[in-house]
Amino acid sequence: MSHDPVPFQILPALLQWLAVVGIILAISAVTLTVTSLATSGATGPLMIFEQIGGGIHDWLSTAGRRVWALTMLTFREAFRRKTLLVFVVFAILFLFAGWFLADTSPDPSMQIKVLVTFVLRAISWLILPVVLLLSCWGLPEDIRARSLHTVVTKPVYRHEVILGRIFGFSIVGGLVLVTMSVAGYIWILRQVPESAKSRLVARVPVYGALTFKDREGNDAAAGVNTGDEWMFRSYIEGNTKGRAIWDFQHLDQQLPSGAEDLLLESSFQVFRTYKGNIEKGILAQYILVNTDKKIRAALPPFEVHEFRDNVLKVERNLTDEEGKPVDLFNDLIHDGKLRVEVRCLTAAQFLGVARPDLFVRLPDRSFAVSYFKGIFGVGLMMVMIVVLGVTASSFVKGPIATILTLFMLLVGRMARPFFDELTSAQHMGGGVLESIYRIVKHLNPQTPLEDTLPNNIMQWIDSAGLNVMWALKYLFPDFQSFNMSEYVANGFDVPWSAAMLPSIALTVAYVIPWIILAHFSLKLRELEAK
Amino acid sequence: MNKLTSLQRKLVYLGGIILLFIPITLLGLPGTTAPASGMGTAQEDAGGKLTRLRKEYDLGESSLGSVDPASSAMSLVLLGFRGVATSLLWLQAQHEQKTKAWPELRATTESIILLQPHFLKVWDFQGWNLAYNVSVEWDAVADRYYWVKEGIKFLKKGVQRNQKYPQLYWYVADTTGKKIGRSDERVQFRRFFRDDPNKEMYPSGLDAGVNPDGKDNYLVAKEWFERANEVNDTYHNEQHIMARILFRGYPMRAQMDYATALQQEGLFDEVTRHAWEVGFNEWTTIYGMEEFDSPGGMLHMEVTPDEAARMEKGTKEDRELLRWVARYQDMTNYRYWRTRALAELDKNTVEAHRELYEGERAYLRGDFTASRDLLEKGMAKFDTMLKRYPDLLTDDPTIEEGLLGQLNWRAVLLLEDEPVPASYPLKELWDASQNRLPSVEEEFKRRKKTFR
Repeated sequence: MSHDPVPFQILPALLQWLAVVGIILAISAVTLTVTSLATSGATGPLMIFEQIGGGIHDWLSTAGRRVWALTMLTFREAFRRKTLLVFVVFAILFLFAGWFLADTSPDPSMQIKVLVTFVLRAISWLILPVVLLLSCWGLPEDIRARSLHTVVTKPVYRHEVILGRIFGFSIVGGLVLVTMSVAGYIWILRQVPESAKSRLVARVPVYGALTFKDREGNDAAAGVNTGDEWMFRSYIEGNTKGRAIWDFQHLDQQLPSGAEDLLLESSFQVFRTYKGNIEKGILAQYILVNTDKKIRAALPPFEVHEFRDNVLKVERNLTDEEGKPVDLFNDLIHDGKLRVEVRCLTAAQFLGVARPDLFVRLPDRSFAVSYFKGIFGVGLMMVMIVVLGVTASSFVKGPIATILTLFMLLVGRMARPFFDELTSAQHMGGGVLESIYRIVKHLNPQTPLEDTLPNNIMQWIDSAGLNVMWALKYLFPDFQSFNMSEYVANGFDVPWSAAMLPSIALTVAYVIPWIILAHFSLKLRELEAK
Repeated sequence: MNKLTSLQRKLVYLGGIILLFIPITLLGLPGTTAPASGMGTAQEDAGGKLTRLRKEYDLGESSLGSVDPASSAMSLVLLGFRGVATSLLWLQAQHEQKTKAWPELRATTESIILLQPHFLKVWDFQGWNLAYNVSVEWDAVADRYYWVKEGIKFLKKGVQRNQKYPQLYWYVADTTGKKIGRSDERVQFRRFFRDDPNKEMYPSGLDAGVNPDGKDNYLVAKEWFERANEVNDTYHNEQHIMARILFRGYPMRAQMDYATALQQEGLFDEVTRHAWEVGFNEWTTIYGMEEFDSPGGMLHMEVTPDEAARMEKGTKEDRELLRWVARYQDMTNYRYWRTRALAELDKNTVEAHRELYEGERAYLRGDFTASRDLLEKGMAKFDTMLKRYPDLLTDDPTIEEGLLGQLNWRAVLLLEDEPVPASYPLKELWDASQNRLPSVEEEFKRRKKTFR
């Protein structure tokens, strides 16, 4: 895994959502009040309240029957527009997929990775443009052809039109997605060679919390930096007191009842300071610890195989460091807690570790489970695109709505790490003004600025700007978080708390304000203006 | 206003389309080659004007190498966005390399070359990247070897797509020779080349993708260097890696690398001697007699002393040409390799190498008596070799071999509690090469540590 699957905290996320929505509402309220005062005088703000009241009334009067009728109408329209031709492209792509994929690799896990990634990527790339175009052109086309006039003159509310569009396009997209994903699943099963079929599983990991001890045995925030450009892993030195320590919790609730052994799986990396015997791997060792009873049991050393599965089956009956017999489940795992200390045994060589590099492996689930969870992620992203497209098309015409939605999609998918870095406290060199000042004065980003009034004012203005940027970045959903292919392709089950729940929360968090925005946009729109 | 009906207008459009279609078809008619029937020859139709022009100027894809339908399809589908797509894929590949996502990186390189099948630098860069940069990221030697092979296979695929350009042939040869034969893992890599560690995939021990005939890696490299020269001769497409005079000598250099590798592995039999003999003959009769253009005129580097004397006494042009011969000989290290190959054919030299090698093994085994005897004999013969072929005194590996032999001998003397005598063979070499001693001592310690 190339990232740390951190469990999603719903309460802080909710508070953050409320903060961002609050800021946006406050800015909107001020803007609307000022604009209405300028255009309609003292009655302006009253008109705003009237519209808000009308909107609330609309929502309270929602009828499922009308929404369903509009959904079906949208569905039939999409069908008439030959949306399902996307299947032909899909079929052609898979017929010739072998041309575009790398040559058969002798490593089964590599083959599976390439095939699974290809299928999930192909499905997203085919389905997202289709729903994007459908949702962005639906309403504007109806307005242009005046077919919407026949709908709005019926006793339906504008938000029901919006909901009907969203549900209709989502159902169309959903049907296409289900068909493609089933075909893709069968294709993967057929393509994976017989020898690699056993690796087509969904491993269920239990991750622990990682802490370090330095070469003297003191607590450390991290291990050694060996100069790797990718700072995902931190290194411990061999044949010293340096340790990487994982603390696992709630194992008693997660391990199957009657388990007689424990599977520990790792994917550590190695950094050699000298070549040594290149035909022998670097040695590492696990020490299982019960921190309450101070029982320690060292397991036999093992050679680290980089980029491969290092699975160790820990039997129930072990001996502690004094040679006394200990029981894994009764003596070492205590109240569901287990500490695993990892040490590198080869002198002057280093072992690279990150939190997801060691986990307790629970019984595997079927590959289908993780695959269809991955597809569910694509589905959520599709719903987001539909809602965004419909919202955009409720206030601008088709081409502009398409460009706007595409822009949101691209920024949300590609520029999020950039935004995060820009608005993080660790960002070096300050904001816009400070950066300009530093360039002019030839100051490097590490040099602290003098504590003077102009400098403080400059930094204060920059920090205000960054705070606005912090709120603005949340206008763009992090579409990358819907991509669960890394779990599926690496043979992991897609975790609920680290992947599924945040994706669902993200969808809900954006869909609600977008639908409200779409409702008011269509409600206030002059349809005759085309 | 328009008096034509809808049907009439459509018919007019149709007529216009057909009218335009005729010249377009004639211009763009594809060329065909009908298979030969009976004793007859194949019937060729040159096709339309565009086809003829494409053939005349070698602009067709098929004229560059084998055509990959996937590559053509990708280029077609992307219209003018091929460059943008390639740049994005290149960034993706860099990210995958940084995050050590190797299977994804391999798949991305395939996608890049689907888009840029005739951009030689792409093949060169990515082939090198797989064979050198990706391979060292893996800890196990067998894994490293797998990625070296991936690099070679990638470059070979590049050769298939670009059959008329010598560069890629040369890169295949260079990676097969240098990466497998000279890297830190050369002992294992050279063994794996003839006996692949992945027995599940290659039960015979031979990966046909890199070594179908089970040959030594340097001999395979030599074949690819020879093919590079042949392609250079046939299509007259100049390579842009190095000066032509250097490029042309690589097959012979690979032959001598092969002979050197055999010696380093402790083989001092007829096979090794024959390898040097072939090397010497090819160096002097093929490479040495090849004509090269120089500012002084056409020349070849194998010049006998009589010929040189004649040229020296000849016209001003002859003397100028002789100077260029000397310059080219310096540039290619011609005289050194000639002397080296000649020296290695000498029985005394073969014995010197063998005795120094076996003396070191005996020392590492702990058989000090045998070691001292072998090393002293070897040093004496090595001394004779240097006196017979003084050009070798400028050769780093030769000096290091002489110093290593002495370090082993001195270590044995120390263990036997005997002083180093005032005079002994190779003393001059020892005194003259003190600045090299620290690095040779490192090698001496490394060999002791890794001896098995």
